[in-house]
Amino acid sequence: MSVDVFKRWAKEHPEMGTAPVPVEPLVSPEYFELERERIFRRSWLCVGNVCEIPERGDYIVREVAICDAQLLIIRGNDGLVRGFHNVCSHRGNTLAWDAKGRCRGYMTCNFHSWAYDSAGQLKWVPDEANFFGLDKSQLGLTAIATEVFRGFIFINLAPEQTLAEYLEGVTERMKPEGFDQLRLQRMYRFEERSNWKVSMDAQNEGYHVFSQHRYLMPKLFITTKEGCMRSAEMTFFGRHSVSGSGIDPNYQPFPVEGLMFQIDKGPSRCRLPMQHGFEFHLIFPNFAMLFFRFPANDFCITHNFWPLAVDRTLWEIRFYAPAPLNAAELLSQDFMQTFNRVVFDEDATAHETVHAGLASRAKKHLILQDEEIAIRHFHKVLDEQMAIRNGA
Amino acid sequence: MRGEHGIARSDGELPESFRDLEPFAHWALSAEVERMAARENSTFEELQVFYDAMMRRLPAIVEYLNQFPLDRMPEQAQRLLNMALSLNEVSIAVKRYRQPRVINGRERARFFPGQ
Repeated sequence: MSVDVFKRWAKEHPEMGTAPVPVEPLVSPEYFELERERIFRRSWLCVGNVCEIPERGDYIVREVAICDAQLLIIRGNDGLVRGFHNVCSHRGNTLAWDAKGRCRGYMTCNFHSWAYDSAGQLKWVPDEANFFGLDKSQLGLTAIATEVFRGFIFINLAPEQTLAEYLEGVTERMKPEGFDQLRLQRMYRFEERSNWKVSMDAQNEGYHVFSQHRYLMPKLFITTKEGCMRSAEMTFFGRHSVSGSGIDPNYQPFPVEGLMFQIDKGPSRCRLPMQHGFEFHLIFPNFAMLFFRFPANDFCITHNFWPLAVDRTLWEIRFYAPAPLNAAELLSQDFMQTFNRVVFDEDATAHETVHAGLASRAKKHLILQDEEIAIRHFHKVLDEQMAIRNGA
Repeated sequence: MRGEHGIARSDGELPESFRDLEPFAHWALSAEVERMAARENSTFEELQVFYDAMMRRLPAIVEYLNQFPLDRMPEQAQRLLNMALSLNEVSIAVKRYRQPRVINGRERARFFPGQ
């Protein structure tokens, strides 16, 4: 099966234009510093999933280096998820030192034992009478705007709108189906010598599949006769984009894959809101949610591209799937996760080699084809968002 | 000697009905990084032989393992499960790359599983 259409997305989205995209924002240290203030300090950033903190008192600590922030995301005794700066009110010590834990009553600072409850309230100060007009009720942990969408936890250091408003049409598109079944199954963190946008651009198109993934996925997606990928959908929801791709109905899985598809014979527990076999949702600025339709249960992979420096990025990949009930399901999930890990391994090289090429300033522009329109959309949005806050 | 599931215990590393796979018991690796390392440090021929042996028995392996709860798997069964995970790990090398290493991939040391 092949689809020989050309320049479809340019016709559907004429406002995007077709011009080359400037390279300078991808390699400029000055632009990077402006992004820190104008984008990352004011956007909703995904830092985890509620499945990581299922019980009252559970917490995770997340570093958001681009904002110089370390966050404590904790489920209170009332069951609510809250986010705080992980900073003691006394003299600024880091409160929780582990990446993950459970608060069994109080979070206690190691320095002077100031103690906070799971709602961030300051409950105990040793030698309190030796302070001057200490008002504990004013000295709780500094809260940070924290909201949950479909189980994913987002924070914002200076919100200009609610998360639902920020997500615009994605809220309606991504119906609440199947997400409660997802559990974090594995995670990779990969520090790379690239700008966060170079890494993200590399993931945000299917044109590379026929070439970079020629060993792994030669005939997985629907393509032209020539073998180049053709997406089934490119929709823009304000700052965000959704692309969908169909799986070739004649796809021949290789033996282990085929067997793994068959052995997982339980009833389906997780169906994500998908219109295509594969969907890529880019949530501005730096978060991608990938949905995969799979015979037994759908699964989800997320990417965060955390900026560390103009030429350094922490690429965080997370695999979400229902908790496996038996060996068949475990093996089937493990196969898909291992396979995708190898796909990302193939992708990873290009993040650094592309950045090296762009940093040389040999090229002033990226030349984008029709299937790379989501990249075009992202850079246009970034430009607009940076300009809006110029001087703010 | 009868084990908790009424299955005859043997002194082997694997359940009795899978003794034919004992020569490959060194693939019973519980951590992903171990399985990745074993793949990269094997010859292609070693991968191919392991792959063929496991693929022949995979439906029976899965049927056998399905009887145990995942968090309370007997030792011998757990080894067999870990070997099946190794099968996943090597299958891509055997069927797609036709060599132990990912072609054009990053070094394993840089692509490590997170917490």
